[in-house]
Amino acid sequence: MKAPRLRLPPSPIEHSAEGRALVFSGFAVAVLAIVIYGQDYVVPVIGVAAAGAGNVVSYRERSLKRGFWRQAFLATLVFGALFYVVADSSLALFGGVLPQANFAILLVAITSFDLKTRRNCYSSLWISLAILYLAAVYAWDYTFAVLVAMWAACLAGFWLASHLERIGARLAAPRRALAFAALATLGLGALAFVALPQPAGVPISPLIVSLPNFTSFRGDIESPALPLVQIAGDPAGATKSVDLHFRGRLGDAPVMYVRTGAPAYWRGLVFDTYRGGVWTAGIQGYREMQPYVPPRFLPAAPPDNLGTFVQTYRVLRPLPGVIDAAYPVESLYAPVAALREDAYGTFHTPEALKPGQTYSVVSYLPNLTPAVLRADGTLDRLPDHLRLYLDTGAMSARAAELAAQVTAGAGSYYDRVIALTSYLQRTYAYNLNLPPVPAGRDPVDWFLFDVKTGYCEQFATAETLMLRSLGIPARLVSGYATGDYDPVLNQAVVREHDAHAWVEVWFAHHGWVPVDPTPGVSPLAATQFPSHWAAGGVAKLIPHLTLGVPMAALGSLGVLGALPAALAIAVAVVVAFAWVRRRPWTRRRRPAPGENELLRLYERAQRRMGRRRAPPETPREYCEAMRAGELSELTDAVNEGVYAGRWPTPERVREMASGVPAKSRRRL
Amino acid sequence: MKPTPRVVGAVALWLVLEWYGATSEVSWLFLLGAWVAALVVVCAAYAWWNRSGLLLHLSVAAVRRGEGSPVEQLPDSLLAHGPLPEPVFEGDGLDLEVGLDAPRGPRGPAWVSGSVAGRRIQLGVGLVPRTGWRATQSLGAARRGVIGASGWRIGTSDPLAFFAGTRACADGEIALVLPRFASLRERHEARELEASVAAPRSGAGSEMFGVREYRPGDSLRRIHWRSSARHGELVVREYEPPGLRTLAILLDPAPPSTELADQVARLAASEAWDCVMDGGRVALWAPGAEPVNPTRDLWSVLEWLARYPDAASDGSAATSPPRGEEVVVVTASPNVDLIEAAELSRHRRGWVVGDAEVTTDVPLERVGTRWPL
Repeated sequence: MKAPRLRLPPSPIEHSAEGRALVFSGFAVAVLAIVIYGQDYVVPVIGVAAAGAGNVVSYRERSLKRGFWRQAFLATLVFGALFYVVADSSLALFGGVLPQANFAILLVAITSFDLKTRRNCYSSLWISLAILYLAAVYAWDYTFAVLVAMWAACLAGFWLASHLERIGARLAAPRRALAFAALATLGLGALAFVALPQPAGVPISPLIVSLPNFTSFRGDIESPALPLVQIAGDPAGATKSVDLHFRGRLGDAPVMYVRTGAPAYWRGLVFDTYRGGVWTAGIQGYREMQPYVPPRFLPAAPPDNLGTFVQTYRVLRPLPGVIDAAYPVESLYAPVAALREDAYGTFHTPEALKPGQTYSVVSYLPNLTPAVLRADGTLDRLPDHLRLYLDTGAMSARAAELAAQVTAGAGSYYDRVIALTSYLQRTYAYNLNLPPVPAGRDPVDWFLFDVKTGYCEQFATAETLMLRSLGIPARLVSGYATGDYDPVLNQAVVREHDAHAWVEVWFAHHGWVPVDPTPGVSPLAATQFPSHWAAGGVAKLIPHLTLGVPMAALGSLGVLGALPAALAIAVAVVVAFAWVRRRPWTRRRRPAPGENELLRLYERAQRRMGRRRAPPETPREYCEAMRAGELSELTDAVNEGVYAGRWPTPERVREMASGVPAKSRRRL
Repeated sequence: MKPTPRVVGAVALWLVLEWYGATSEVSWLFLLGAWVAALVVVCAAYAWWNRSGLLLHLSVAAVRRGEGSPVEQLPDSLLAHGPLPEPVFEGDGLDLEVGLDAPRGPRGPAWVSGSVAGRRIQLGVGLVPRTGWRATQSLGAARRGVIGASGWRIGTSDPLAFFAGTRACADGEIALVLPRFASLRERHEARELEASVAAPRSGAGSEMFGVREYRPGDSLRRIHWRSSARHGELVVREYEPPGLRTLAILLDPAPPSTELADQVARLAASEAWDCVMDGGRVALWAPGAEPVNPTRDLWSVLEWLARYPDAASDGSAATSPPRGEEVVVVTASPNVDLIEAAELSRHRRGWVVGDAEVTTDVPLERVGTRWPL
């Protein structure tokens, strides 16, 4: 028995030149996005040129049968492109920035020489969308929305052109209705985007192909908080420690973009040992892992967590090979040869991160509220592996006494932590222009009792040691604060001055909990619950909308500042004048009941008689000329209405309608 | 309005965008998805709006005269009272005007489809302006009878064809193709002689015949002032002369074939033409059919013959044959009722089309289906 062949239903040949032009335009828009955001030029330019030629060839030969040798040649080219992407992504032979996007571009360019049917055109458009999606990995601004809108317009245009071609019509449509529909779509879509929740799902795991790995990790611990701590002679920032005696300058330059479902602290390195004003990491163990770290290799999910959220990082300047991410991590993927996890749960890459490099992390959203942590209870018996985090180093007794004094009134374990954090935030000032710590002085004592001002390291160090003096395990964490978070785009721009240090405190049932003693932020530095409603984010933005800056700008213009207002008034006056001129001021006479009905019936009767009444012809003459006795009643009614103003009732008109000839003679 | 497979595609695209958005938390994917979903909703509203306010227009735009068309012989006064825009005879070509009217404002896209004279027509348009949209389709040589429009539907959709639907239009008649005719005088000298005896139409009877231009000597009482004012010259009434002959044409109610029926209609039309041109009146009758009473209106005779034998086929009308000074029977089959009715008249003659065996004392002339004879 012969097995049935599984074939798609035949697709019609696409004859619409406009539709094909829009398909090509959609592809060009997607490629433009790759050029702008991927900064990749060679393959995109070749791809667009080839696709343009291919579309012309396909259109000209759309009705011809496919030739075997051309098909074979195109298939060979597709396999060549496949080889290219494998070679470029796995072996880095060509050094392409976006090998997947380049493959998709080449695929569209090759297949554009065989773009015969409507289904082929759809395929080209969908691959263009995939290219756009790949570009979105690098796109972090509103400009990208313009490209997306352009692509969507190309898709809609193709739908329109293809539909009109199918019904045999030229490319035309009611402009006003179309413009209204487009505006309604944009408005309704934007409203839906703002008002509807944006669900968070399980992220897509990448496809990993394991190749032989000869990775060698360089260096040991590198500070990700570059240039949080600057050590002379080490511009790359590689360091094993955080020295409180020195402070680097922090600029406004962006360090990385983070696309994230929730604003969080991007945690980097952890330090547990404090000696003489210098923090170091005491545990040196490592665990090597594949580029994709699935959840099963990572610690169990935190209790009562609120779910997960995804972050995608794009590095903008050379950074130490440390994976900054929101913690605790559920899984992560970094397109590097291998990863190394240190004893504190931080991941490292073999080499420094280069500009343009991206990685993705999925993090848990822990349920860390004051109520939950207060219910966590008191640490009754300290596990052995946490004793390291009670070492106060050479902290003075005076500082320990202050810690005890500040937390004397606090009842629970959590309250003591927060009491000390709040005390530091309340009592001490944040200042980046701090002079170097005087020789021989302990930086913590100097901060707590002398200058009473400092930056994040001073605050975090003081709190860590003071908590330890109270028997609460704590450690110092460095990384980046959230940065400039845009809740509509779900992304943050992290700059140099967002480099930060804070404290992690051990809770018996929740593990390490972030706490930030730096003034101006929440003491409990837990990741905020993500706003899955764009409207929530917009609402947050509203308080920041002030008239201060525009008014100041206008004020600086002096007398000329009146120009915008004068222009606005002038435009308003012109528009109002035009409206007054165009508005019909004469009130229309309201038709009598039955008038419209009767005149419509008379028009219909004339149509059905096959000839309209001539302008000089009276209704009576018309009736006689047409020899239509059945029209006499209607004619009398029209005459009586027009000349005597006595119109029949609508019911009477309906009765008369039954006497009108029902069938046309020569015209429907 | 029904959703098309494109809606499934759009919804699938929306779901894919939501899924990618949810798994990557790339917010513009949600925005794009929301736009796609909004597009579907807006297109549904557009399609609903576009569905209303369109009216089908079908008419004869022009007639291309076939070779030997009788129109050439028709005087202008006769043509002025003919069917609008102009009479169509068998063998003429037609330019059919198909269109849509949008009295409530521009609409589109829309398409129309249906059959005219057995030919399937489908046309589409992206924009139907307020003034309407028209397209012309050429139809070939027309056959006698009704050119009917059947199965016509107006299709509408939104611009992206997410939702589409059609609605049916009532069947109707586009045109009535009249039978060809030619003068048969030369074949009937006797009748020609009789016709020459008949007075021209300028008699002094009591029934108004028509109007004509004023000639010196006409009575001023006969001036038709209203028509004179309209034409800018004097026009007088014409009255029917007394004693004109009436020709009764008796037709076979059920010819065996369409070709034979066509020839019967042509012969009857030719007899009627000769009679009317001689100032006489014509009556048409077929057993069981609603007759045409004696008239000088050639068009009503031709229209009756155009529908022949459909007009005679129902057999429901039980009428007696008309009386006339002369009876002409035209048949393609030996119909007893027809022959008996003809035999009642003193002045009688007839035509037999085809091979029918007809036994009667009525003088018959046998012809085939070729035209002209």
